[in-house]
Amino acid sequence: MIMKRLLVAIVTAGSLLGVTVSTQQPPPQQQEEFVPIDQLPPQDQLPAAPLLIAAYSFVVLALFAYVLSVARRLSVVQRELDRLQADTRRGRT
Amino acid sequence: MFTRVVWLVLRKDLTVEVRSLEIAYTTLFFAVSCVLVFAFALVREGRAPEDGAAGILWIAIAFAGTLALGRAFERERQSETLRALLLAPAARPAIYVGKLLGIVALLLACEVVLVPLVALLFQAPLFAQPVWLAVVLLAGTIGFAAVGTLFAAMLVRARSRDVLLPVLLYPITVPVIIAGVRATSTLLQPEVDMAGIRFWLALLGCFDVVFVTLALWTFEPLMTD
Amino acid sequence: MPKWFVPVAIVCGLMFAAAPLLIANAPYESTMGLVQKIFYVHLPSALIFLISAIVCGIASVRFLFGGNPRHDRLAWAAAELVVLFGIVTLVTGPLWARKAWGVWWQWDVRLTASLMGWMVGVAYLLLRKYGGPGSDKLAAGLALFGMANVPFIYISVNYWRTIHPTTNVLPTLPVSMGLPVWFTFATFFLLFLLLLKMRVRLEEQRARLDALYLSADA
Repeated sequence: MIMKRLLVAIVTAGSLLGVTVSTQQPPPQQQEEFVPIDQLPPQDQLPAAPLLIAAYSFVVLALFAYVLSVARRLSVVQRELDRLQADTRRGRT
Repeated sequence: MFTRVVWLVLRKDLTVEVRSLEIAYTTLFFAVSCVLVFAFALVREGRAPEDGAAGILWIAIAFAGTLALGRAFERERQSETLRALLLAPAARPAIYVGKLLGIVALLLACEVVLVPLVALLFQAPLFAQPVWLAVVLLAGTIGFAAVGTLFAAMLVRARSRDVLLPVLLYPITVPVIIAGVRATSTLLQPEVDMAGIRFWLALLGCFDVVFVTLALWTFEPLMTD
Repeated sequence: MPKWFVPVAIVCGLMFAAAPLLIANAPYESTMGLVQKIFYVHLPSALIFLISAIVCGIASVRFLFGGNPRHDRLAWAAAELVVLFGIVTLVTGPLWARKAWGVWWQWDVRLTASLMGWMVGVAYLLLRKYGGPGSDKLAAGLALFGMANVPFIYISVNYWRTIHPTTNVLPTLPVSMGLPVWFTFATFFLLFLLLLKMRVRLEEQRARLDALYLSADA
């Protein structure tokens, strides 16, 4: 039992260590000086389309979710109200 | 008549407090622990972050103030003295001002201990401009306590009042805290920017006036129930 | 539901369908390009956020000093819309800012005050939900303080150094951009009225339910 647990512990530790070591990249080339430019090259600029789509979809989803929430709460109360009204009409409390 | 009621309420609070010093000691100790937690969290290799002192001071004041407000009104609730106060033939705004001054006195007493502690632990020259610092602390404390006293009083009979007080109080008093922190950190600079201090103090004064006015106006309808 | 509800809902739906066409036809802005189109939803939702806060504040004052439950219902509905349109503003803004300013968020006056205003709305809803009896009056007091924040949010951007566009942008908009944005604002405003009415109706029905329960027990 103890041997089995010890084996599991060693294998886990070993695999973690192996993963950490193997994913190390060689250290990046050291930068000697900063060179300024005016405009970022197009491939480095943030694409605007995902941000735009995310913004518009969020608006639609949020408004839709709220309408659904109010409609759901309203239907719950309406059902309760109808049930109670039917009960009082039948003469029961 | 107004000032007489204010003085009576204030004297009552101070007398009760001085007899046991319960709220004073516990709030003070809490504020000190708060500052120590920040010190442990932020100090690195024996040196504190350079601009941290102003923020930490005001956070400690805000947290300790919230605690003191809750405790002060809990005491009123337990002895049912709040109802007695409201039944008394006294103007409600006067009762509010009396309680406000009591809370401000308690918080100022805490600040007397907190300022040297923060100055020591964070190596901040808080005593470089003592008069200005005192004015800033007074203005900020009044602003914070003005909203706090109103909210704590109106939450006395609400459910979940302990957690609701900070939830309601902090969004409203954030402008006061921000102004207080900016004013204090301006005072900590080696060359003091007088125009900056005057600006932040003017802003604090504005908030004080607006908050106290709104509180005086709404205390009556909020406490009638 | 009142007579005007369905016609207004239909008009609002049609306007929502037409809005993307107008927005797509609007010219690009010179420095920000495509991402500036978020403006056409960000500005209307921000304005409705502020309008909701004012409606909530005024209804709260009338409730506090008058005691009519109708005003309390309106205040609660407006507070929910403060949270809704606030969250829309606070999400679309950073999405735009990420490209336009390079950062998701800036602690300048307008953004900080807007975030605090939104949190007051959330605090109002928490108070109504968990505060127990009497929380209607307490929430009204809170809303009053929250409403005092609103003019501060709007004019702050003109007096403090900030990266956020100033209010001068609105009067100087060219017609090609002004038309879509004000059209979208009108759409959002109609939606705001519809949502307000729906939410107030929910509270009215709840009140009728409570009254029925009470009369049944009596």
